[in-house]
Amino acid sequence: MADIPDEEIMQHVKDGNLAEMSVLFERYHLRLYNFFLKLTGKKDISQDLTQNLFYRIIKYKNSYKSGLSVKSWIYQMARNLHIDYCKEEKRSEELFMKTDSYPVDISDENTGFQEEDFERFEYAFAALSNEQKEIIVLSRYQGLKYEEISLIINQSVPAIKVAMHRAIKQLRGIYFKQI
Amino acid sequence: MKCAEVEAKMIDYLDKNLEEGLCQEIEKHLETCEKCLDDLRDSQQVLNFISTDQMVKPDDSLRINFYHMLHSEIKKSEENNDSSFRKAIIPWYNLRQYRIAAAVALLICGTFIGILLHVGLSNSYASNELKQLHSEVSDLKKASMFTMLKEESSSDRIQAVRYADDLDSPDANVIDVLVKTLNNDKNVNVRMAAAYALSRFADRRAVCDSLVKSLALQNDPILQVTLINILVERKEKSALRPIQEIIANKRTLKEVRAVAENSLRVLI
Repeated sequence: MADIPDEEIMQHVKDGNLAEMSVLFERYHLRLYNFFLKLTGKKDISQDLTQNLFYRIIKYKNSYKSGLSVKSWIYQMARNLHIDYCKEEKRSEELFMKTDSYPVDISDENTGFQEEDFERFEYAFAALSNEQKEIIVLSRYQGLKYEEISLIINQSVPAIKVAMHRAIKQLRGIYFKQI
Repeated sequence: MKCAEVEAKMIDYLDKNLEEGLCQEIEKHLETCEKCLDDLRDSQQVLNFISTDQMVKPDDSLRINFYHMLHSEIKKSEENNDSSFRKAIIPWYNLRQYRIAAAVALLICGTFIGILLHVGLSNSYASNELKQLHSEVSDLKKASMFTMLKEESSSDRIQAVRYADDLDSPDANVIDVLVKTLNNDKNVNVRMAAAYALSRFADRRAVCDSLVKSLALQNDPILQVTLINILVERKEKSALRPIQEIIANKRTLKEVRAVAENSLRVLI
């Protein structure tokens, strides 16, 4: 079971063996929760969105097209959920002020950074546009390849590279301007 | 190379994704351009912040809620299968089951007639009567459960397990059949249903012990996770050994191992 690819498991789920969904849950829930957490900055919302996402995967299992990447499909849905959430809340500016300060366990001993540096960095990150956050989260935090991101957000790899470089440029601008 | 080109290639340069020739051109530019060098350092620091970031663990309720949701979705989908299946077949296809259903319906009618007839009689008499009828319904459900567990179709067997769910206090025979189903049924959904049915009676020592024993037998990841969750929710210390064996077993799926390791923190 250990090496059964996501696609095969999703096919079984689609064929009606819903119990196998728990394997996908165990594989993905941590990174999806963190995907939402980086984008929203809120723990309870991220928890709800993750919960909701797995419900949708089961509910819309028939819309999974056999053979396509399950990872991209799941992230596409996660992205749509986040977009819906933003529309509902219209809260992009508000986010800047209301980010949860969840504890960052990284001390300066092993990274050379002070905790307050991290806090400032979180603020700088929260100030980016949703599209910029999304691209940084997918590529740098979640470690997806540009080709994978291209499938998820439906843009070409070169366009993603340009967007990525602009996002990092803006992030570094906001971060270092604060000092 | 111009500043704009260096800027555009900066991330690939920092990720070491560029070929040697391009790297040398960028380095040559950096020797003479202080602004680009500053930008490079700033970008590097921003990327360092991101790469030292650690994932935050969600609350345990996320997992618990997911498994509850999954369980009810499985139930729902089995029910849908049942009804679409029945609609598709000729009426007398499954005579035995219809007989059982008809008998249950008759008994329920009987219960109501019983209530109507005994209005006006002494309360204790009526309630004894009701108790007896109630136990007859239970017996019938038990009987149909034993029969239906032998059916070929897995949704029939799940339905059979669900009859046990309706019993308030199933006797040792029922528990025994459920445990056998949990350990031996060939379909994972039926085994799951048996696990959930048994979990309702896990405050009985014997049931709890059977769940612990079953955990040592199961090698299906979904059942391993389900049983671990049931036993951990009860803080069942005797589950420690099978859980440790699961962790030690090289063939255990890594996702299951993660759940098992998490559970140790609750149990120890």
